[in-house]
Amino acid sequence: MGATAQTAELARRMAAVVGARNCVSDASEVLTYECDGLSHGRVRPDLVVLPGSTAEVVEVVRLAGAAGRPIVPRGSGTGLSGGARPVPGCVVVGLTRMRRILEVNLDDGWVRVEPGVINLDVSRAVGAAGWYYAPDPSSQGVCSIGGNVAENSGGAHCLKYGFTVNHVLGARLVCAGGEVVDLGGRAPDAPGYDLLAALVGSEGMVGIVTEVTLKLLRKPEVTRTFLAIFPSTDEGGNAVSGIIAAGILPAAIEMMDSLAIKAAKAATGLEWPETCVLLMDADGPAAEVEHVSARAIEIARACGATEIRVPKDEAERQLMWKGRKSAFAAVGRISPNYMVEDGVIPRSAIARVLREIEAMAKAVGLRVANVFHAGDGNLHPLVLYDARVPGEEERAAKLGGDILRMCVRYGGSITGEHGVGAEKAAYMADMFGPDDLETMQQVRCAFDGGAIFNPGKVFPSTRLCGEKPGPYRPHPAETAGQAERW
Amino acid sequence: MTAARRPGTGTDGVLGAVPRLVFVPATVEEAAEAVRECARDKLSLAFVGGGTDLGLGSPPSRLDAVLRTEGLARVVEHAPSDQIVSVEAGLSLSALQRTLAGHGQRLALDPPFPDRATAGGIVAANAFGPLRARYGAVRDLIIGVSIVRADGAVARGGGKVVKNVAGFDLPRLMVGSLGTLGLVATVNFRLHPLPEARSTVLCPVLSAEAARSLLVAARSAQLEPAAVAALASGGALDLGVRFEGFAPGVKQQGDRLLDLVVKAKLHAERLDEAAAGAFWERHDRVRESGTFRARLSAPPSALAAVVRDAVAPLLAPLAGGGAALYPTLGLGFVCGDPASGPAAAAAANAARDALAALGGSLVLAAAPAGVRAAADAWGPAPSALALMLSLKDRLDPERRLAPGRFAGGL
Repeated sequence: MGATAQTAELARRMAAVVGARNCVSDASEVLTYECDGLSHGRVRPDLVVLPGSTAEVVEVVRLAGAAGRPIVPRGSGTGLSGGARPVPGCVVVGLTRMRRILEVNLDDGWVRVEPGVINLDVSRAVGAAGWYYAPDPSSQGVCSIGGNVAENSGGAHCLKYGFTVNHVLGARLVCAGGEVVDLGGRAPDAPGYDLLAALVGSEGMVGIVTEVTLKLLRKPEVTRTFLAIFPSTDEGGNAVSGIIAAGILPAAIEMMDSLAIKAAKAATGLEWPETCVLLMDADGPAAEVEHVSARAIEIARACGATEIRVPKDEAERQLMWKGRKSAFAAVGRISPNYMVEDGVIPRSAIARVLREIEAMAKAVGLRVANVFHAGDGNLHPLVLYDARVPGEEERAAKLGGDILRMCVRYGGSITGEHGVGAEKAAYMADMFGPDDLETMQQVRCAFDGGAIFNPGKVFPSTRLCGEKPGPYRPHPAETAGQAERW
Repeated sequence: MTAARRPGTGTDGVLGAVPRLVFVPATVEEAAEAVRECARDKLSLAFVGGGTDLGLGSPPSRLDAVLRTEGLARVVEHAPSDQIVSVEAGLSLSALQRTLAGHGQRLALDPPFPDRATAGGIVAANAFGPLRARYGAVRDLIIGVSIVRADGAVARGGGKVVKNVAGFDLPRLMVGSLGTLGLVATVNFRLHPLPEARSTVLCPVLSAEAARSLLVAARSAQLEPAAVAALASGGALDLGVRFEGFAPGVKQQGDRLLDLVVKAKLHAERLDEAAAGAFWERHDRVRESGTFRARLSAPPSALAAVVRDAVAPLLAPLAGGGAALYPTLGLGFVCGDPASGPAAAAAANAARDALAALGGSLVLAAAPAGVRAAADAWGPAPSALALMLSLKDRLDPERRLAPGRFAGGL
């Protein structure tokens, strides 16, 4: 049977499991799934299946496995690292149909949801009762919980509240052979290894999650926000360090440089001076928050803030945050094209690193706008370029890579929240050595010995899980020169 | 350099298994070399820090060698302005806290025996204390690790920044793995500022139901305590709630909790410094006492059932028994000295069944041989045992790292 006939046969069997309308093989229809939020490096999948239940996922995984097809799981497709980018010959398994909130337990403060549920819908479902789900990626209005679990998503408020991994209490996982395993549970510290921690952030490489139990938090009593304007990011960076050094743990503390402000103004009409803006949230019990807010404002002034703005009501506060959250897209107003990077540095190095980025950009004739989670040193440099100018996209990509390598040099990371995915796999070797990567690969292989889930992501080269210890037997793909052995 | 070594003695034993050989490396490189030597000679091996949680788990099925981490006791890096620290495994918690306190910081972990408990041991045993209520467990504070694998290779995971999602999560996988996946050689933690003020409110002699209602009311009132502990006292609970932070917030939260207490027609008092110290010392004594210690887990809402069906039966056969519960977390410990092994074992098994019915578990953190003879340390095999076996096979294919000590016979 030829490849096309085999795909048609597989499509027929998949359709029998998920229903014909939920099995997409038409070339024009699978186009939607060629990429995720990272739009370059498109790969057309052979087949897209949209299962509606754990049982259907099990069958889909078994069928794909039997046909020797790689499986690429996909949530809302908003990821920014190409984590859901298809690989040739793959079956994309989209979880968007599985979007039920299955159980809410406010007594113990958790909610059990299907993976396609939108992040913000969790908080909406429990908001009236005074609860919320803490991780808040900027895309929270569209990104799915399953995708959040895969990428260990963060957000502006994870300095105080942690990432997805700190908020997942349990998960149901469909493994490579179609086995269904429940990890974690309703009570803490179940005996055994913390496989839930290995699952969260595994970028779709260990299985497909079909249910997630999320920890909910009581809404804080009050939230106080202020915006401080500084002459430059030097003073802004010092203010961040000063606030943290004073023993303050802000709920969020964000910074934008002049170019990012310019973009945000163009998009939202906000009246912000185009220098450096710092936006801080403090939340918690009232007296604590009032005290902390006042102290932080004092520190910002002492560090050279030229202006402090305190929102007069919730609407104005939301507008300030809109300026911050819309920054990525807003950059489109000042540049035909841009790339979003996601590096982490020790926060005390912010001012130095920003100057270095500026010099690097200048040297190659490009501009970089900086928006970042200053409290945890998570930078989002937006590399601006014009794809119509020959060679500029390549220069922009190289600059982005150089910025990530600089983050590693400063003792940081190549990704704070977007994940490694397909896009940054090449940089993993800058951050980790061969033994580090091999050990991580062993963890991945412990879940998925055949490496059928999301191959080609995270690790710098395509490798196989290898055989169990014993006499060495080369894998067929290895002899064919398609892969290296681990 | 090769690690210092000596013959093993009875005091080097792990749950009764006495090694022939003890390594005391002075550097991570020496530790890796010692592990490689064990790999070459096919020696089974366990890692020992301060020995404060050596009673946790089942006795290893074989034990040729022990590697002690006492020579690995350096602070590798402390970056106060970045609020991170990187330490070697054998550094004691109190030594670490002293260093950090000089910069107004702390590691927000407060397990028992801080003078002996080591960074590596705390990670390996997932040790914790009352501060977990606010700051989370080891998994919420660990940001990086370097491990020595069973084959002696040194591998790093995570990093030195708080926010980082690059690669598979080795740091959290090591948490609670009791040295069965590798030696935790160095650990990176995120730090928190030392609080400016703290204050404890004590609500004595509460029923479990009243304690639970009060804590739910406090949660509804958006109070955010740093530590919550309920100590068994006769048939009732003495509930201590500690607030930490800046003085105005600490004061206001204490006031509001006292208001809630009055509203619930209960009694409580804000303790002065000496009395607060005495309450938390009483807590520490419970956690550190006894030859028998059981760790209990259940959903927080099940507090009354836990007290009735697990804590009370466990306490019955113990002399000098005590219970320290963390009711906002759904965790607790019952500790004491069993008068009769079989009776304590029977109580442990009954309590385990009761907790399992609630979705929880019971683990023996310490127990004399007479109890172990009739009660398993871990209870039923974990539901994800096949995956755990697979992980063990990948990282320790010859099953030489503390074989049999961990859950599921791993």
